[in-house]
Amino acid sequence: MLTIKVLGPGCANCKRLEQITSKIVSDLAVEAEIIKVTNYNDIMAYPILSTPGLVINEQVVSSGRIPSMAEVTTWITNALS
Amino acid sequence: MDIPVLLMRLFQGGTGNLAAYLAAHVLLCLLPAFYIAGAMTALIPKDTVTRFLGRNTPKFISYPAAALAGSVLAVCSCTIVPLFAGIYKKGAGIGPAITFLFFAPAANILALVYTGGVIGPDLAFARLFLSLAFGIGIGLIMALIFRKDDQVHDKSTDAMFAAQNAQGMKKAALAFLLVLVILLLAGTLKISLLTDAYAQTSLPISGVAEFQAGLDRLVPYDASKGEEGVSVQGVVLITLLALIGVTSWKGFENIHEGFNRWAGIALGLTALTLAVASLGVQATPAGLLVSVPGKFIAVLLALGILFWLGRYHLSEDELRDFLWESWRFVKQIFPLLVAGVFLVGVIRVLIRPEWIQTLAGSNTILGNMAGVLFGVFMYFPTLVEVPIAKMFLSLGMHRGPLLAYLMADPELSLQSILIISAIIGRKKTWTYVGWVALFSTLAGLIYGAWVDGTSLWLLSLYLGAFLACLATVLYLVNKRVQRKGVLPQTASTD
Repeated sequence: MLTIKVLGPGCANCKRLEQITSKIVSDLAVEAEIIKVTNYNDIMAYPILSTPGLVINEQVVSSGRIPSMAEVTTWITNALS
Repeated sequence: MDIPVLLMRLFQGGTGNLAAYLAAHVLLCLLPAFYIAGAMTALIPKDTVTRFLGRNTPKFISYPAAALAGSVLAVCSCTIVPLFAGIYKKGAGIGPAITFLFFAPAANILALVYTGGVIGPDLAFARLFLSLAFGIGIGLIMALIFRKDDQVHDKSTDAMFAAQNAQGMKKAALAFLLVLVILLLAGTLKISLLTDAYAQTSLPISGVAEFQAGLDRLVPYDASKGEEGVSVQGVVLITLLALIGVTSWKGFENIHEGFNRWAGIALGLTALTLAVASLGVQATPAGLLVSVPGKFIAVLLALGILFWLGRYHLSEDELRDFLWESWRFVKQIFPLLVAGVFLVGVIRVLIRPEWIQTLAGSNTILGNMAGVLFGVFMYFPTLVEVPIAKMFLSLGMHRGPLLAYLMADPELSLQSILIISAIIGRKKTWTYVGWVALFSTLAGLIYGAWVDGTSLWLLSLYLGAFLACLATVLYLVNKRVQRKGVLPQTASTD
């Protein structure tokens, strides 16, 4: 079971990242919980400078940009193994 | 006047203004600017710039770096506040963070290009220069006022900026960005090399003169009232613009799932539109008179280089990020701009020039304060302040108060004040608001005095003396604090 967090106050890029992530999760048929973190203080608790951020099992894998679907897929499969 | 006629006139004012704007200002200036903004967001690694903002960086590096970060990283207010929160919470001092917050909305690439294109390069330069001076000034003042809090804050933040293995920018990406800037300059600069016609041809299309006459009736043309007409070329361009909108939607909206044919078509149409917009077209009874000015050749060259760079030297990821960010800005800003420009056209019919002239027709303290107050209490979304300023200008506002308004409006709105106070606390926010209001008024006064003929040297002398005083006070206070040793830790962080 993965815990995936999308960090972002609700900007367009954060929504897009969430869409991409949930699509990949359902494509891969992975068991994962996707949490949107929108509170600034909660976001800034992670070592990132700018949103959107992607956190898999409390590990920040990307921040400040929208990663490609291939990247997200790799991160999720890596986290599973 | 009865109601239907009035409504008709209002509607006509709105659509006329919108059509004139789309045809005259959007293309060669805003279209490349959106792409530049997208390229900056996508291709410049953020940590390249932000690593200079850390609290261990000397002041003479961190403040200019903060201003630079403001102009290259944050393109609209929506990205400024999250980045500001990031910079502040991750260990930058309050000073550079405030400089960033002040400089970004006033002097980012979109705002400057748009101001320059619509109102005039002089105002764009004044906006850039005064924002830079005052952004750093306000940052220094805030650092001075809240230096106790800042020391406490320093201890509680992690050293995000200290150890960073920031990679530089790729050469190809940098070249791409530069060529985009050249494209923008080629389309908008008014120097003879670019505006002189090198070839001319006449297309025998009958009826264009009548078509133009019809357009002039539909969109009344009166330069003295600041109204602009729509040309035959303008109609072609607006049509192309609409086509770009549709194809971009199909091509870029789902670009994260891969490139499709629509994306290619949208890019092709954009290139075509830029090329057409740079041609000189005149409607004559004999047909369309088309001239080929230098800028047409420059635009074609720049587009060719961009294609080559994008095709062979940028990775697919970079291209995708670039297109997505550009499209996101268009989607976010353009509808607001269209609505704003339309409303400005409507309001222009209602406002009497005398009101504006009495209130802010000359460069007085009161006039400048009126400009600032209007900016604070009216909330206009990103960039809409520019057409509004244009309207004020054509109604007789002095350029000084106009600049005061242009400085205050993007910085301060009730909405942004609320968000900022959530990040740095209420006391700091209102101090910041006060300084911005004061400095905006001052900026308007200085610029207005320059427009009215005061020598530039004298004004720079005043400005320089003011900043030097500020720096000296800061330096002295700093020294004193250092001599006293560590400050008591009781200062509140609110």
